[in-house]
Amino acid sequence: MLTIAMLAGGVKGFFENPEYLLGIPLAAVGVLGVLLAISALAPFELRWPEPVQYEPEQLVEPEEGHPSPATYIQVGIILAVVTAIEVAFYYIDIAQGVLLGVLLTLSLLKFVLVVLWFMHLRFDSRILSVLFTGGMALAGALFIVVLATLGANLV
Amino acid sequence: MAHASAHPATNTGVDNRKLLMWLFLASECLFFGGLIGTYLLYRGRHAVPCEDGTISACVFPIDKVVNGVKYEGLFDIPFTSISAFVLLMSSVTMVLALAALQRNDRRGSQIWLLATALLGMTFLAGQAFEFTEFYHAGLHLDTNLFGTTFFVLTGFHGAHVSVGVIILLSLFVMGWRGRLSHENALNVELAGLYWHFVDIVWIVIFTLVYLIQT
Repeated sequence: MLTIAMLAGGVKGFFENPEYLLGIPLAAVGVLGVLLAISALAPFELRWPEPVQYEPEQLVEPEEGHPSPATYIQVGIILAVVTAIEVAFYYIDIAQGVLLGVLLTLSLLKFVLVVLWFMHLRFDSRILSVLFTGGMALAGALFIVVLATLGANLV
Repeated sequence: MAHASAHPATNTGVDNRKLLMWLFLASECLFFGGLIGTYLLYRGRHAVPCEDGTISACVFPIDKVVNGVKYEGLFDIPFTSISAFVLLMSSVTMVLALAALQRNDRRGSQIWLLATALLGMTFLAGQAFEFTEFYHAGLHLDTNLFGTTFFVLTGFHGAHVSVGVIILLSLFVMGWRGRLSHENALNVELAGLYWHFVDIVWIVIFTLVYLIQT
């Protein structure tokens, strides 16, 4: 009933009545019930696809020069620590200019770590670096032009 | 990189699908660059009659209620920090999924793919909660320029995360049915590139939108 009320209330009603959020798990339970009923009453057999059994001896060596999972986890830890430092700086009472510089630097560091290590740009063809850097440069140019053109009229 | 040699040789030496994905990501830089630029331009502004009688995008004081919204203290930084952390960690699980598949550890890859999708869904749930909180605080899409640009920017990012979750779950089902191996790891690699891009966009948004509020 709550689900029906949620649907009847529309998007606006949904946001105005947080208790409608309860309709989401109720709807999920309802869908699950319908699926179970269909599987029980269907004249033919319904079953989930069987998972494939993997053979452990089929493992292959990773390509040379690629980082190991341990390296990825180390990069992940660095990213988590840098994020914690960012948030800590947000709460420290320092000059706005310094805060701006620190936060932008830390953000850039995280950005570069993800692009170089997780997106493998450090190990991949240079043409991919050129493509992505080109996109970033164009975005930066657009950014500066928009702010310089419109910002001057709005301040 | 990993399995480009398994595909027909190309002039660039890079698999065309991978090249196309990077080209797409480069165009996405422009897309999000435009949205972030617009947000920074209209942050803390409203397009209503100003004190001098004109209608323009004038600045409203962050410590005063304008259009029923008080900008100061609107963002819940601890909550958003956890969301940012969750999305960041999903990048780690994503790259571990790829590394596992490249070793032909298909079971491990399945686990990491599912973990990535779950972390993505957690992030989306946090964003839905945040949007609902803002709505109750009086900030709607049409409240002021700040509200419009904020919801459009973060909403488009959320839409990208949603698409990423669908791709990840599709890959999980492919793996479940035995259709993923180290020979076609490029499928996971392309999905990973998209997912990491969504993550770096949030790294920028988290800093420029949430932490730098002046």
